Amino acid sequence: MPIYAPTLPPRPEVSQGLPPALVIARFDLRRVLKQRIGRFFGFMFVGSLLVQLGILYVRFLIQHQRGFEGIRDFAKEILTQGPEFHAGLLTMNGWLTTLLWFQVALVGGGLIARDTLYRIRPLMYAHPVRPRDYLAAKGLFGVGLPFFILLPFALLPWAMSLLIAGVNGPVSPYAPLYLVPAALCMALVMGAVTLGASSLASSPRAGFGWVLGIYLSTNAIGGILSAALKQDFWMAMSPQALVQAWPALLSGVPNPILGWAATLVGTALHVTLWILVAARRSRPSEAVL
Amino acid sequence: MISFHDLEVRYGPTVALDHLSLELTDGVVGLLGPNGSGKSTLLKTLLGLLKPAKGEGQVLGVALNSPEAAHLRARIGYMPEYDALIEDVSAYDQVAFWGELSGLDAASARDRAHEVLYFVGLDEARYRHVSGYSTGMRQRVKLAQALVHSPELVFLDEPTNGLDPDGRRRMLALVMRVRTELGTGVILASHLLEDVERCADQLVILDQGRLKAAGSMASLRRMLAKRFELRFLDPLNETQRAQLETLGQVRAEHQGLFDLELHDADPRKPFQWAESVGAVLVQLTPRHDRLDEVLIRALHEGSH
Repeated sequence: MPIYAPTLPPRPEVSQGLPPALVIARFDLRRVLKQRIGRFFGFMFVGSLLVQLGILYVRFLIQHQRGFEGIRDFAKEILTQGPEFHAGLLTMNGWLTTLLWFQVALVGGGLIARDTLYRIRPLMYAHPVRPRDYLAAKGLFGVGLPFFILLPFALLPWAMSLLIAGVNGPVSPYAPLYLVPAALCMALVMGAVTLGASSLASSPRAGFGWVLGIYLSTNAIGGILSAALKQDFWMAMSPQALVQAWPALLSGVPNPILGWAATLVGTALHVTLWILVAARRSRPSEAVL
Repeated sequence: MISFHDLEVRYGPTVALDHLSLELTDGVVGLLGPNGSGKSTLLKTLLGLLKPAKGEGQVLGVALNSPEAAHLRARIGYMPEYDALIEDVSAYDQVAFWGELSGLDAASARDRAHEVLYFVGLDEARYRHVSGYSTGMRQRVKLAQALVHSPELVFLDEPTNGLDPDGRRRMLALVMRVRTELGTGVILASHLLEDVERCADQLVILDQGRLKAAGSMASLRRMLAKRFELRFLDPLNETQRAQLETLGQVRAEHQGLFDLELHDADPRKPFQWAESVGAVLVQLTPRHDRLDEVLIRALHEGSH
């Protein structure tokens, strides 16, 4: 038997809260943090980061300890602070980006799809939420999630390198200037694809499938076309290739697989396409009727 | 509270609301009509979610589709018909979330979520995930999210859907408390006529996007009070039958039993009339029409 309150106290003041986009994004973040999948991937990313930091420290030891003098010449060969090394901080030879795609697919796949499944969107639009607020919230979360995961991979090795070896450490003191924008571009591509894929799905599981489907199919088609036509720029069809290309380009890797033009066009097309798809699929008429 | 004139809403070539004109005053308004009659479309239009093809209107003094319409939604609460609940979140978390979306700051939204969940009788269960709730509890969460920001007007779309008789009684009692204790205007869309009859001060009947009837429940009841069944000792002749129209409007006649809507509710009038035309009145029975009969009649008359 429910117990009812004698009455409801007077109304509080309204119009003092955060903008709707921030309220929705924060709510989504809290929901993800409570999920077990968030803990699993958190463990995986922290583990990867620790491995990376460990490698850096071992390299530092090899360079500076007398016991390692014999292999120092060899180490100089493999420990060059070149652009490939810096680009690799954000990709870990594809391991980090692949792991990130799985994380983004699992968490981001439900970004819009969960609202579709629970039929939340019409109710959101019945509040002072405009379609652009909704899209901004989901976009903020979709881009913010991979960006904030990538950020420690760009900044912690740099900070550790400065701490243990000063400006002559394995990571360039100027690395954040190009690694942080690279992380942002990577997150933008991932966030846009997630947003569009999630809007096409009717449940978070289907959203996961859509993200992975887009990731794998575009990778395969891009690979086939570039091999068949012997033109690497076809790989720009693949969001994974674009995600790998940004750190390479901004770090100044000589002769990257994708050039500036292909990467810029590919990124612009993917971001525009998937945002348009998400905007169309989440507009009020679709949601309300 | 709400007024609109010549309102027309279309879904492509389909007319969903056909030149509706209406003025609704503060109170509980019952919105009745069969499925597809345009009730939800009207609510969405009043919320500013659908753009009228024609006509104009005002909700709480704000013109429909004006730039202020988005802010107007902070003054309105909406309880949808369907299960718009976030299953993997507690009732408390989601009611606080809807409060923040309506413009409350985070601390006020959290406080208000406690208060409003207590108000709807969910105090004990508020930290549990909604996925484990019964239908009645789910309906009360939906009502709580509509009330969390203390709106001036609340749209309740089928609030008693799926509830057992006891749950319905409790939900309707809550709706009445929303009106009487909080002073909130209520638009109650339902196809359950007893619900509307119990709560509403005003009634609007829609069918196929057209307004079939509208008025206060008091006037409707007054109209119902004028309905009588009359039987005379001998069949009425032509002259008497013609003069019967002076007494009231003949709605139906079956085997000498006249269903009459009197011009005047005074039950002495039929006797006076019978005496004046030389007939003997042997039966005068008030018709206890229910609201559903009125609704069916209104819809039936509209279809011819």
